[in-house]
Amino acid sequence: MDIIMQNLGYSFLQAFLLLAFAPLITGIIKKVKARLQNRIGSSIFQEYLDVYKWWRKPTILTPETSIIFIIAPFVYFATTFLAALMLPNLLGGKVAFGDVFVFVYILAIGRFFMALSSMDAATAFGGMGGSREIYISVLVEPAIMLAILSNLLRSGSTMLGNMAFDYTGVAFSVATVLTCIAFFAILIAENSRIPVDNPDTHLELTMIHECMLLEYSGRLLSLIHLTSMFKLAMFLVLFSMIYLPIELPLVLKVLLSAVSVSIIETLNNKMRLFKVPVYIATTMILLVLAIVAQ
Amino acid sequence: MNLLLLALIIYCVGAITMLLPKKIELMAHYIAQACAIVASGLVLYKAAFYLLMPSEELLLDTGWGVYTLQADSWSAAFLCLTGLAGIVISIYAIDYAKAFLGKRLRILGGLWNVFLLSMVGVLLAGDAFTFLLTWELMAVSSFLLVNHESEKKETWSAAFQYLVMTHLGTAAIMIGFFIIASGADSLTFADLARSKISPVMQNIAFVAAFMGFALKAGLVPLHVWLPNAHPAAPTHVSALMSGVMLKIAVYGFGRFVFQFFNGFVEWQGILVLVIGLISAFLSVLYAIMEKDMKRILAYSSVENMGIIFSAIGTGMILMSIGYGRLAMVAFTGALVHSFNHSIMKALMFMASGAVMHATGSKNIEKMGGLIKYMPWTACFTLIGSMALAALPLTNGFVGEWLTLQGFATLATRADGHLLRLLAAAAFLLFGLTGALALGCFVRLYGTAFLGKSRSNIVEKAHEMPFFMLLGMGIETVLVVVLGFIPGPLVETLQGVISGGRFNTTMADNFGIIWGGTGSYAIFSPILLGSSLIVIFLVIYLAYKIGGSFVYQDVTWNCGTYPTERQQYTATGFSKPLRRAFSFLLKPKREAIYLRKENAYFGKQVQYKLAVPDQFTERLYAPFQKHLVMTASVLRKIQQGSVRLYIGYAMVALIIVLVWGAM
Repeated sequence: MDIIMQNLGYSFLQAFLLLAFAPLITGIIKKVKARLQNRIGSSIFQEYLDVYKWWRKPTILTPETSIIFIIAPFVYFATTFLAALMLPNLLGGKVAFGDVFVFVYILAIGRFFMALSSMDAATAFGGMGGSREIYISVLVEPAIMLAILSNLLRSGSTMLGNMAFDYTGVAFSVATVLTCIAFFAILIAENSRIPVDNPDTHLELTMIHECMLLEYSGRLLSLIHLTSMFKLAMFLVLFSMIYLPIELPLVLKVLLSAVSVSIIETLNNKMRLFKVPVYIATTMILLVLAIVAQ
Repeated sequence: MNLLLLALIIYCVGAITMLLPKKIELMAHYIAQACAIVASGLVLYKAAFYLLMPSEELLLDTGWGVYTLQADSWSAAFLCLTGLAGIVISIYAIDYAKAFLGKRLRILGGLWNVFLLSMVGVLLAGDAFTFLLTWELMAVSSFLLVNHESEKKETWSAAFQYLVMTHLGTAAIMIGFFIIASGADSLTFADLARSKISPVMQNIAFVAAFMGFALKAGLVPLHVWLPNAHPAAPTHVSALMSGVMLKIAVYGFGRFVFQFFNGFVEWQGILVLVIGLISAFLSVLYAIMEKDMKRILAYSSVENMGIIFSAIGTGMILMSIGYGRLAMVAFTGALVHSFNHSIMKALMFMASGAVMHATGSKNIEKMGGLIKYMPWTACFTLIGSMALAALPLTNGFVGEWLTLQGFATLATRADGHLLRLLAAAAFLLFGLTGALALGCFVRLYGTAFLGKSRSNIVEKAHEMPFFMLLGMGIETVLVVVLGFIPGPLVETLQGVISGGRFNTTMADNFGIIWGGTGSYAIFSPILLGSSLIVIFLVIYLAYKIGGSFVYQDVTWNCGTYPTERQQYTATGFSKPLRRAFSFLLKPKREAIYLRKENAYFGKQVQYKLAVPDQFTERLYAPFQKHLVMTASVLRKIQQGSVRLYIGYAMVALIIVLVWGAM
């Protein structure tokens, strides 16, 4: 029991550290992107200031909203944090929360509540965001499942701790490279980045994730933005640990993948909403090839 | 006397209440529901003892080989499910069915008992004859219940469609039974299990039985009756049909697969898996296009039956390729999901009944903002929606997790590309189904309960009377408790599957563990749930510290006041999916512009959209058309004239004589 509590403590500590560094990772992505576009860009610590700014501001609620609107950001944060607890523990010890299927479905709880909250304020844009979020998730989820299967065939396990590369065997093969590319594409779609979604746009018609948040303000908005950055950081860590077949220290791998996100965002435009199925289908073909290759 | 037989007698007493005089109609209704509750309670109580019994126990043996009743652990699992649903839905019906006062309420109460009696009868049947007899009773009583509001044309046609389809299913099951019985000494299940028939006959029996039970379970393409019949019935009947009657099909199929067939061939498992996966995916795709609340739930039932059958199929494949011990996870997943689905689907149907009771409509496009008028129902529906979207910490996830472990086991154990690609297809379709189910229930809940009310029918909405809330409340508590602590249920049902032969247990109070993929996989909802609560409390405290300043104001709407017509509709919500999957759905879209003098301003637009079921459109409708055409051609020789018929007899006689002479 003491061991379990100790390992649980480690998991909480690790998730908390990830939360603390999450705005920095987003800041780095933005800075690299700005430099690639020949701009100076804001400081890499700007995201901390933004979160703090929103945290101090008052919250305005639309009269139509119900309790769902208020609890949704909390559920979104709490489930994302819970998923982060399930990441392989670097500080030692394992806590048996659940396997990768539980991880995926835990994140779905957050999506369920955010999509509900988008319909709560009774506006056109909110519902549009919720509708598109569900649309993207329907496309992405099967690809995630195939990525899990591809990894399962390599590592023989669905526990996140055992799915990580240990570099004792051959890490670099056709299957791992294909899976790596495919999962990176999934990561971009899942975290609402260019080319699937544009997190920085100010035109509601082109937005997906941000569109759901239009009615949020103050502390609730701050919490949602923090969670989105947290989720991106978590996926980058997961990608680095489980899908990136290069032997490097984890911090460097995460930085490498963050820079890759910036480069892809610079090189691409946001694609049309109804082109996303083609993008995901390409991902799935890569994954099926990876599955057959093993 | 055995308590299960006593329960059957009490159901009969409840059924007789339909003969009471009309003056005491309400009293008859109370007696009928009380009988149903007591008898279901006895079934639940007694069946729990049979759950871990190694062999079957004869309850009634006439010695003739027919009219025997027996119970073993497989039927006990389904008896528990039936008893539980019987109690809770009857409690709900105490208040709900009062809406039928003066509209054949006595018949409704009596048939309710007959329906429960027939389902318990199917589960207790110890021979093929009793099975088919009670199966037929179940079909007829449920037909009469579906047809209760026969004044409505759509109810009437749905009921008759159901009657025709269910009899096709019964015929297929009968063929299955008789082929097996041709190699057996008598019709009792014990003798049928020792039946000796050739592999070819066994394959035919398998296909016939699978068709029959798949029809009752509503698997694609035999599902067309289900989304019509389930919504047409009074809501508590829909709850019992979706919650329990579909599971009786799982029971029957399991009875065939586990007891009558010794060993399977690989293709049989593949057939069941593929049909299950296609059913799950297509039906949830139709569910997200529907706007009738009960039809959404009916399609969702098909989806969940698809998941259950895909789990069974996975288990059968694992058994046929020599991993009998590992097949346990898939079969347990199927049984656990059957149990959990009966709880959550009953809850959601009862909730839809509450919404209909409050607003008088099933169309979610006319609702909106119901959470403010009926907070308790809204809370129960939210939890039910989460369960049907298979989110962890509700009971809906447990069975799906086990099914996924079954797929993972199949993927790692399969040798050869066919089975591996099949496992990949299973993962892919399962992912699609899960995400679509989530979207479907976000859409249902968001449109009906959140936002602004879309029409004035919402204004008269009110909270439900006590017994309806009690019924929904019990199921909600079960959904949450079985979601947090699934261990005991999984352990018990695993015992049912393995017959206590295996010593390894998959579950304890902390969670479930599965080692079939070569490594182990763990799901510990209690740890997840307690961590989630801690995180939630911490962040809520952080939110409250420093007194966040909150005030209310109208949404910025470019200078105009937002109206209820500007919010997203359910049809709009599913538009991107309708477009992405239009190659499967083939939606019929029609926009008519009625132009006046000014072509740009003040024009009227009529917009029609329909997403008809493609199986009805392309398979059943042409078949029906050709059937009617052939019949009308054949009618020409049926003129009703006696001389003509004598002529026919003459011609036939001459042909026979000539043939005989040759």
